[in-house]
Formats: sequence, structure tokens, C-alpha cells
Amino acid sequence: MADRRAEIARKKAQIEQLRKERKEKEIAKKEGPVKVVSQSSPSGTSSDPDALFRDLGISITEPSAQQTINASVTSSPSSGEVASLPVTLASSKRRNIQLSVVKVNETNIPPKENVAYSKETQTINPEPIEKDGRRKRSHSHGSFGSPKFVHPHMEWDDEFNDDMDEDDDTDSLDVSADGSHMHQMAHRMPRVEMVAPAGAEEEKKEEEPPQVRELSEEEKKQIMMSEEYQLSVTRAARVMQRLLAVNDTGLTIDYSGADNEGKDDDALAGERLKLQFEFFDERWSRRRTITSMDWSPQYPELLLASYNANEDAPNDPDGVALIWNLKYKNMSPEYIFHCQSSVMSTCFAQFHPNLVIGGTYSGRIVLWDNRVNKRTPVQRTPLSASSHTHPVYCVNVVGTQNAHNLISVSTDGKLCSWSLDMLSQPQDSMELQAKQNKPVAATCFSFLSGDTNNFIVGSEECTIYSASRHGSKAGINDIFDGHQGPITSIDTHKVPGQIDFSPYFLTSSFDWTIKLWSIKQPYYIHSFEDNNDYVYDVRWSPVHPALFASVDGEGRLDLWNLNSETEVPTASVLVDGRPALNQCRWHQTGHHISVGDNNGRIHIYDVGEHIANPRTDEWSNFVHTQQELKQHAAEREEDSNLAGTGAPLR
Amino acid sequence: MAAEVEETLKRIQSHKGVIGIIVVNSEGIPIKTTLDNSTTVQYASLIHSLTSKARSIVRDIDPTNDLKFLRIRSKKNEIMCAPDKEFLLIVIQQDDQS
Repeated sequence: MADRRAEIARKKAQIEQLRKERKEKEIAKKEGPVKVVSQSSPSGTSSDPDALFRDLGISITEPSAQQTINASVTSSPSSGEVASLPVTLASSKRRNIQLSVVKVNETNIPPKENVAYSKETQTINPEPIEKDGRRKRSHSHGSFGSPKFVHPHMEWDDEFNDDMDEDDDTDSLDVSADGSHMHQMAHRMPRVEMVAPAGAEEEKKEEEPPQVRELSEEEKKQIMMSEEYQLSVTRAARVMQRLLAVNDTGLTIDYSGADNEGKDDDALAGERLKLQFEFFDERWSRRRTITSMDWSPQYPELLLASYNANEDAPNDPDGVALIWNLKYKNMSPEYIFHCQSSVMSTCFAQFHPNLVIGGTYSGRIVLWDNRVNKRTPVQRTPLSASSHTHPVYCVNVVGTQNAHNLISVSTDGKLCSWSLDMLSQPQDSMELQAKQNKPVAATCFSFLSGDTNNFIVGSEECTIYSASRHGSKAGINDIFDGHQGPITSIDTHKVPGQIDFSPYFLTSSFDWTIKLWSIKQPYYIHSFEDNNDYVYDVRWSPVHPALFASVDGEGRLDLWNLNSETEVPTASVLVDGRPALNQCRWHQTGHHISVGDNNGRIHIYDVGEHIANPRTDEWSNFVHTQQELKQHAAEREEDSNLAGTGAPLR
Repeated sequence: MAAEVEETLKRIQSHKGVIGIIVVNSEGIPIKTTLDNSTTVQYASLIHSLTSKARSIVRDIDPTNDLKFLRIRSKKNEIMCAPDKEFLLIVIQQDDQS
């Protein structure tokens, strides 16, 4: 046994040695074939270690295992190539997928197009809303162009949302998961945002910070010279001026601490005449006497005034007519009109809100239109024997909406009636002649209330005439003597009421007096002799039957209420600077009076309400007053007749 | 005619409390101004976009309607915009009483 053991040990040692040798051999083999040859002889004795084992009856598995490993290792070069091939193939495949994903990521720019869709498109179109949108959409592609899908936007946008299958191409996450979810949401909801009109896009563009393009000076100049610019800016500026002129300090007033001012206002309310505005324009009014004024019948706040020539400015047109606005003080004129000859009289064309009429010193009648953007007349009458050749001191429109005429009288006694549509020649004309065919040098005229035929004319020769336009008695009818100076103004009574006062009229004259007349009596009813200068104008109140206003050459504006006082004015005010006052006109409400002076300034006075507004008994009271005055007048006439045949003064 | 426009604008400028006038064309470009350049550009672009917005509001509510005037009253001043067909007139006014 011991022998055997010893033998085994010895053989084991032998095997170990053999293995060592083999390893060395292998190393040597790699180093070079020469070494292999040299060492082949010793290995020849016991070349096969396995045989030794087999001799001993021990089966050895280890080497076989090694063998298999070796085999696998040896085969590795070829099989490795094969194995690596699929790997590389796989990677290349990946790349392909990525490419395809990029394709999917393609964003779309919705084409600019006007949306034209039927209601169906919005409501009945569940197709793209389904979960497996892709297949459905391919369907919808088929139906593209069908009436249901008129709007290509929707098609495009639906395609954009092909990211339902995130598993297939994970790169689609690049689109940002949020966005995709949003889109999914959008899928399920009616696509409202697509309904927005095409204009919305443009607006968005506008909202972007605008690129401020600087215009060159020349471009600017060119724009500023353009007609459009001038029209636009003129219009806008007009509105702007009005707004600036509005006294809106009251908007932010705090009433809690403003009681003192309130008291002052109360005190002022007791005033009978209070200066409200002054209308004056440096360029157009300065040094021009106001020759005439008229309130607009359509727009009560507009006041038209005509101006004489400014001798200091020979280059400016002689005649000027300005329209002022009562609502806005401190404002420049709303409209400026001018013409070559001084405007002696002016009025609004009563039934044409846009037309303004002027009678000039040359005898021409001019017509301005505020719709036309020019200041010169749009029409003018010719200078011919058939029309006026002398100054026209009075113009007026009489008649009704459908049948009205412009009436003008010149100082040679010629009366013309015109149609506003045709100013080339008068429709009708006549010579106003007094006794011995002496022409009447008319300075003023006034039609009787509600009458287009009969009127009263005042003349330079101190006489007043009543006259008719048509009929058997056309021409001068009656003569009213009484004034000792040229007549400056005539006004007939026009206040409506239960009692008709239309026969009464007032005249003012250079003889410092105002006289009240009735066309039924050849002598005056009353003479108001409180003024100490020429009385230039007299006007009845448009609402109060017994009230009238007068202005004189020393700057006094008087209000006379005949029911309360006939010898002295009820209210009187001296205009600042005491300019000669040439004209006065009541506003149609009877609460304002415009007064024009010889310096071109218009003063607007407010009339205290207790004076301006008539009480209900004013009409009957005025009848009594008239009767009293008439009685006095009759007595006076009798006295003067008794006093002698040649009564020089009446 | 051009002188008249100038005259009118001058008169507005001379009005008590008026700080500046800007005329802006339909594209929001200032044509005429009495203010310095940066203020003008700022006002012109801001007011222009506000005015066009206001106009679109008015027109959306009633297509036959149109914007006539826009007035912005603030603590310190007041901006008044008068839009016309092609141009927009802006006047900035100091609010002297407060």
C-alpha cells in the first residue's frame, strides 16, 4: 500500500512537472519555432500526461474542460465577428430610427389663409378626437377637400400630434411631454382657437414691439404738405380746441369745502347783465368793426359775425366773417371766411345749415359753405345792372323750408330776392322809391312777424317806410317820420303769444333816440331818450314781449322792460373800455346777448333769469302799457298840431 | 393752407397747460411733434396702439360706429387723442388744478 502511495505521489509530481513543461512549451511556441524544436526531445519520454493518469486508473475531467474552453476560445475570432455583426447592425438601425423621429418632429407653420368654414367643420368632426388618432387621421386625409374639411389648418394641426406612441420612438419626448399632453387635451376639446379670424394674426404682429421707422425730414414735409394731412389735422385740431376750451375744472371739484364760493354765485345771480365771454381773434378781428351778427338757427351755440376792413392790414382780405362757438370760450373761431370786399351784413341761410351769406360793400352777395375746406366764397353774385351796385347793408332769408328767398337791399334802394341755388341773377328785383321817385337809401329792413311780403325799411334820410314785395301795392306804402338822424336799425316784434304784437316795431337812430312804432299809426308811440350818443342797434327779446336791448356809441348796453319802466332802462351796463357798440343780437333762448364793438370784439352777456324770462301776465301788461303810451302819443300829436302849422320838432 | 394748420397747432400749443402736441400717421410714425425725440416715439407708439384698440372696440360693438375722441385723464396730466382718417393728433395737457 505504501508502495502504491509512494508511486501515486511520485506520479503526481511527474504530472506536475509535465504540466509545467507543457506550459513552458506553449510560451516557447509563442516566442519562436526554434525553441519548440529544441525542447521537443525531453517531452518525448512522457509526452502524454493523460496516459499516465489512465495508467493509474484515474479519469481526469479537468483537461477536457480546458479543452472545451480552448475550443471556444479558438473559435472566437470567427464567431466573434458574426456576433459583433448583429450588434453593429442593431446600432445602425437605431440611427435610422432617430432619423425617422426627426421627420416626425417636423413643425408646421399654418398657412396664412382666410378661414372659410361651415359650421359643420367646428361641431361635427369627431374623427381626429379618437385615441388611435393616427389611423383615423389617415382616413381624414382621404376626406381632405370634402366639404367637411374646408379648412386645411385643422388637417395640419392634427398631424402634428402624432406622438401617441411614445414607446416606439422615445426621442419624440424631445418635443416636450407637456406640449404633447396639451395637444392631446386640445384634441378632445372643440378647436375654438382655429375659429379666430385671419385678422387676429395681423393684430398679433402689431402688438409686437413696432419697429419705429424714422421718416426723413423730406418725407415728413411731403406728408405735411399733403391735402389729407391738412384736412385731417384741421378737423382733429378743431375738436381738440373745443375740448381744451371746455372749462372742466368742475370735474374734480370737492364740494365739501366750497361754500364761500357758492355765496358769491348767489350774489352774482342777482346781477342782471353779466359778461360771460369775449370773442376775439388777433389776426382776424383786430381793428375790424363788427358790421353784423347772426345766431345759427340750427346750432344755437354758433354765432356768425361779419367784420369790416382792417385798414392797418392792406394785404389781408377786406371782408371777414367768423363763426364763433358759445360753448367754448377762449377759442379761436370755428370757421373763418373772407372775401375781397368788406362784409356789411351777414346771416345764416336759415334752411341750409352749411351756408353763410354775406352782403358786401361792393354790392355783391357772397355765399360761403363750411363743407368746403376753403375760406373764400363758393358762390357770389355778379356785379351787374340787374343786381346790386351799391353797398348791401341788410340781407335776410325769408319764407319757409320749401319756399324761401334771400332778400337783400342796397343803399340805392334796390331790393333783390334770390334763390340760393342760383346767384347769377336775382329772381326778382325792384326799386324802392319814395316821393318824387327819390330812391330810398336803405340801411336796414325787417319783415313783419310771419309775413314774407310786408316789411319796414329804415333809411339814411331819417325816414322809415313800410313796403311790400308783391301785390298791387308793391313798393313803398307808408311813411313814418319822426327821427332826426339816419336810421341805424329796425326790429319788428316777433315774440309769439296769446296776443299779437306784430304791428309794433322799434327803430334806433343817430339822433340818440329809440322809438317805438306801430305800422297802424304814422307817428311814433314812444321815444326812449336816455342815451347820450348815437344808438346803433335795437333788438326785441325773442321770448319776452316787453323787453328789448339797445347799444350805443359810448359803450352802453341797455335793457328796457316796458312793463316796469319806460323812461330809463331796467338794466344797463358799460362795456369795458367803452368802445362804440355797433351791433347786438339776442340768443334764441333770450338768456344771452352778443354785443359787437368797433374794435372787433364780441361780448357775450348773460341776462339775469328774472329779467329774461317773461311771467305769464307780461302779455296783458304789455297791452296796458301800449294803451297808455298810445294815449300819451295821441295827446302829444294833438298838442303839436295845435301849437302851430310848422312844427319842426315832434 | 399749410400755414393754417401750423397756426392752429401753434394756438393749441399756446393754450394754458398744454405740454406737447404730436401728430402721428396711420402707421404710428410721428410726423410732427413739439416734444423731444424719445418721449415722442414712446407716446406715439403707445397711444397709437391704444387708439387703434379703442377704435376696434367701438367698431366691434357697432360696425357703423367709429371712434371720435379718446381722453385719458391721469393724476398728473391728461392725454387727449383726436383720431382722424389718416392721422392722429395727440395733445398732452398738464392737470394744473387737482
